[in-house]
Amino acid sequence: MALWIFIIAVIAILLIVIYNSLISKKNQVENVFGSVDAMLKKRYDMIPNLVSSVQNYMQHERGTLNELTELRAKALSAGLSSDEKVDLDNKLSKALGGIMVAVENYPDLKASQNFLQLQGSINEVEEQISAARRAYNAAVTSYNNAVEMFPTNVLASMLSYKRKRVFEIPESERQNVNVQDLFNR
Amino acid sequence: MRTLEDLRKLYAQDIAPALYPLERERKRILRKFISAAAIVVLSMSALAFFLVPASPNFGVFSLILGAIILAFVYQWLIKDYTSDFKTAVIQKIVTFIDPGLAYSKHGKINRSFFSLSGIFRQRLDKYSGDDHVTGAIGKTRIEFSELYTACVERDSRGRRHEKRIFKGLFFMADFNKDFIGKTFVLPDTAERMFGHVGTLFQSMNRFRGELIKLEDVDFERQFAVYGSDQIEARYILSTSLMKRILDFQKKTGKRIYLSFVGSKLFVAIPYGKDLFEPRVFRTILHFDPIKEYFQDLQLAIGIVEDLNLNTRIWTKQGNR
Repeated sequence: MALWIFIIAVIAILLIVIYNSLISKKNQVENVFGSVDAMLKKRYDMIPNLVSSVQNYMQHERGTLNELTELRAKALSAGLSSDEKVDLDNKLSKALGGIMVAVENYPDLKASQNFLQLQGSINEVEEQISAARRAYNAAVTSYNNAVEMFPTNVLASMLSYKRKRVFEIPESERQNVNVQDLFNR
Repeated sequence: MRTLEDLRKLYAQDIAPALYPLERERKRILRKFISAAAIVVLSMSALAFFLVPASPNFGVFSLILGAIILAFVYQWLIKDYTSDFKTAVIQKIVTFIDPGLAYSKHGKINRSFFSLSGIFRQRLDKYSGDDHVTGAIGKTRIEFSELYTACVERDSRGRRHEKRIFKGLFFMADFNKDFIGKTFVLPDTAERMFGHVGTLFQSMNRFRGELIKLEDVDFERQFAVYGSDQIEARYILSTSLMKRILDFQKKTGKRIYLSFVGSKLFVAIPYGKDLFEPRVFRTILHFDPIKEYFQDLQLAIGIVEDLNLNTRIWTKQGNR
């Protein structure tokens, strides 16, 4: 009798531990995704500022600037799926990168204090976004491991937890790095 | 960046002439020390000769007493010589590496910075150091010195003994990004043999925050990262900085400790030897020791370059 109670108690404790670790991993993923979102939003907030400070100089890049503004408006509209968000974000990175490279052709602009400060802020946000993405990927990897590995996978399938996708480092992201290299990183 | 060739020139022109009087002084000290040692050995043998028949313990006693007296005599003899040597040689090498750097032979990193770094968490009962260098390399303010820190413990029999916490070069610099949390990059002992170092490692890491798993496999093999914020730690430890830290660690060939606190970078490089001290028992008229001082100094000063601290493409600008 006592043995049975003991065995049941051990199993119960094990279940609680496994369950809690799963939940904490899932919450960690959501928590970090929130941070990624917050960083992306910070970048969106910078775009109007960037556009207004460069548009007088950059006559040839009008098209890209307009595209940037439109993309931002889309990204801020409600009801986007996370895949759409990622997609928009990639396009936006690309456009932003294009602008930052084009700046090289405008020495006046490059020298202006206002722009330098803005450039610093943008670099900083890019770096923070990249950090948040890496943190997200680390959290997702740990979650995915739990979902697929024994014994946590048993409980995970009962709770119908599924694998989550990591942020793929898209081609545009690699280009981002190159852009920063241009600024003598 | 100064090369060894430049140093050779400096040695021939500036340092070597200053070494001759010092070498004479060194020989004089050595002679004094040898006679002092002879006197001490003789008198202690005499003491032991008379007292050992009473109790054999006196033999050990006179041995220890003799060693203590000799250690004091040695320290007293080399004090001025060391000081003159540092002014003539170390000072020159520091200015040679970068004229903007100031050198103080008796100064050291402020104790509060050592505590702030949070790298070593044990109670500080002893805090000493010398060879303090301060200044700016490009846009980055740096400061380093040799440090020796220890805590005093009592063993089971109630005897006090000193336990070393850190001995070596302690470096701090203004980091090129702003951050508010704390991040620690420590040698990963868990992957190696446990034992004395392993327990030390564990005792150090209780209050360091979350373990941060980074994606760089080589980096993870060498270091364990702890921090108050998962994202901020990755903001600081960009992929390029991780690689740079690894390269720097390989260059030192030592188990280095880093921390990022209060927008500052702290690096602790342990050394077994005493840094920037003149030879006493061998001639100083040689290029090799000079080269060694130079390389040890260059290693610390080069951190700015090695970890790319002068890149100020973020909002935080440097100050001169």
